[in-house]
Amino acid sequence: MGLKTTTLSVSAAMLMTAASSVSAQDVTLDYWVYADFATGAAGDLQEAFISEFEEANPGVTINMTGRAGGDLTAGTIAGAASGDIPDIFMNTTAVGAQLDQAGALANIYPYWSALPQDVRDQFNPELIDLCTPRPETMLCIPYTGYGSFMYRNLGVLEEAGIDPDAPIETWDQWLAQMEQIDAAGKTAVPDMSLIWFSILAVYAGLVDESAWGIDWETKTTLIQPEPYARALEVIAQMEPYSSGTSLWDQATNDLFTSGELAFSLNGPWANPGYEKAAEANSDFRYDWVLVPGPEAGSSGGVQGYEMIGIAPGENAEIAFNFVMHVVEKEQMVRWASELGRYNSNQAALDAVGENSLLEITAAAIPGSLYNRPPFFEGVYPADYYQTMVDFAQEVVGGDMTAEEAAAATVEALNELLQDG
Amino acid sequence: MTRSLRTLAPHYVMLLPFFALFVVFFLYPIGSGFYYSFFQWDAINEPTYVGVENYSDIMGSRKFEKGITNILTYVAITVPLGITVAFLLAVLVDSFNGFWSKVFRSAYFVPVMMPLFLAATLWRWIYAPNFGILNTFLGWFGIDSINFLNNTDTMLLAMIAVDVWVSAGFNMVIILAGLKNVPQHLYEAARLDGANKLQEIRYVTIPMIAPVLFFVVTYGFISALQVFDVPWLLTTSEFTSYGGRRQTLLFPVMDMIGRGFGALKFGEAAAYGFILTVIIMTVTATLFLIRRRIK
Repeated sequence: MGLKTTTLSVSAAMLMTAASSVSAQDVTLDYWVYADFATGAAGDLQEAFISEFEEANPGVTINMTGRAGGDLTAGTIAGAASGDIPDIFMNTTAVGAQLDQAGALANIYPYWSALPQDVRDQFNPELIDLCTPRPETMLCIPYTGYGSFMYRNLGVLEEAGIDPDAPIETWDQWLAQMEQIDAAGKTAVPDMSLIWFSILAVYAGLVDESAWGIDWETKTTLIQPEPYARALEVIAQMEPYSSGTSLWDQATNDLFTSGELAFSLNGPWANPGYEKAAEANSDFRYDWVLVPGPEAGSSGGVQGYEMIGIAPGENAEIAFNFVMHVVEKEQMVRWASELGRYNSNQAALDAVGENSLLEITAAAIPGSLYNRPPFFEGVYPADYYQTMVDFAQEVVGGDMTAEEAAAATVEALNELLQDG
Repeated sequence: MTRSLRTLAPHYVMLLPFFALFVVFFLYPIGSGFYYSFFQWDAINEPTYVGVENYSDIMGSRKFEKGITNILTYVAITVPLGITVAFLLAVLVDSFNGFWSKVFRSAYFVPVMMPLFLAATLWRWIYAPNFGILNTFLGWFGIDSINFLNNTDTMLLAMIAVDVWVSAGFNMVIILAGLKNVPQHLYEAARLDGANKLQEIRYVTIPMIAPVLFFVVTYGFISALQVFDVPWLLTTSEFTSYGGRRQTLLFPVMDMIGRGFGALKFGEAAAYGFILTVIIMTVTATLFLIRRRIK
């Protein structure tokens, strides 16, 4: 039996299982997705997945609603508190602990473990573990994911006399290019000290997972002062070449697409906007590379995952069946091929042909640090990231040395964690 | 008695839908919030009674201190400034007639109608270091680029400017309505007595629109004490990270929301809401008292 035939038969089996579990009564499932997954090509695909499932499961209606990230979290938590939670919802695993504590996530382990082994084998086991924080407790189905990388404006590089094929793997090479870009009257990077995402992307070049996140048992940060100081030092060196705007500022995006900014560290979600900008303006040409690390062969970046959660309650099983339809290989191949989005279905990723966005995302992941580990264990204090940013800016502003700021960051974060 | 009850009964019955909605959507949430403010509650597990611990924890926290310091500074600047700007705009618009009056009135009201996230994005661009319009303008005078939304010396002022820009149009329309009701003969009499324009405003306009100004001032205080959206958007805050650099733009409502949806401490968030309510009611009552004394 060929791979495609296997996939189709598994898919059909799941749909039929779902159909048989639907009671005689009609069921309407609320399905909350990220706003950008509810529009454009992603929205069309989601609608197609819904139609397929509804067709195979007469009596089941799925209402999809697109919501911004903050709304998803607030709405889901408020829904859990009031008993009016959406049946199926997306979110980032970074807020997994909040959703778990709010009781928004059903334990789907019984449904998952009942799936045929070949279906379960489709998924990246590391991501399945990520959704299974305790034995026999599975709180989500991993969905899409990202590793951040660096977009480059090729026009700006050319104006600065930089050969785009010249290696840009190390911080030294990166800084040397920034100097050339600055000399050409252009801006090299966003202000890397303004948000945790860019600080972490640089720090990731120096450490592995053991030096990032929180040890919830001892309530201490895992940040190591020495490498962290080195990362802050490099960020401060980049400052003269920076736009002064943060990575997530609309102004940064506009500067990048209008040929003023050379490098933008971002995830695959930025690509549709850049593609549109490139279509509208032929002068705007871009490519992507890994975030440089301290030496050749190392790279930085941040990785994160979106998950699909299922609310506890009587609709949990049919909701799980729908989610499995969405994340099953056949659907994920379509998703990955059309959108170039990395996802948890390894079999689907393996089956997708050449896709450079997918390739750079996959290549970025090994060198990247998780956005908010460990997932599903504890809720990060509100000031955790802001503390990192505050001290990074002390270094950039020349008010503290990198060593002083790194030590102060660790001390302040530990204090925050101890205070609860 | 029976007769009057019979006469009034239909009226009460007609008011019943309103009262039902009032109880369900207003009184019940307030009562429920007050109840939960004495509990440790994460929205799903059984609430644990903690007495006034939530209140004492909040008032003893550094964030509360920071939030209150920020709000006091903000209110002290933004309320008089905002109302002065609105008043001057209203006087200016009132001096025009016909077409130009409508043009100016609409132009100043546009920021009120603009979605706030759009206004914030626009202002983030205006304030952007190196490339923003404001820094470009300052650059012409040899002033170095300022990171308005990240420099702790300028963050609050930058935010107040946005806030005044957003709210001035609303206050202007209200004050303008008051100005239109001032009888013209009072101005004519003042002019006959030799009053100049400033004296007309001081001795005719302000006393005549005092009730309107009182409303605008009271409303300004209440809105300012609940400020949330503008600083939240300007600092690109999230439930888990808010207030900007060194919490310079941390305000009480942001902290309340963060404690609720960020840290899942809904009991604390409810207590925070009641602390704020007490502060707002005290300020409003003081304003009414001052007004009564002046009268």
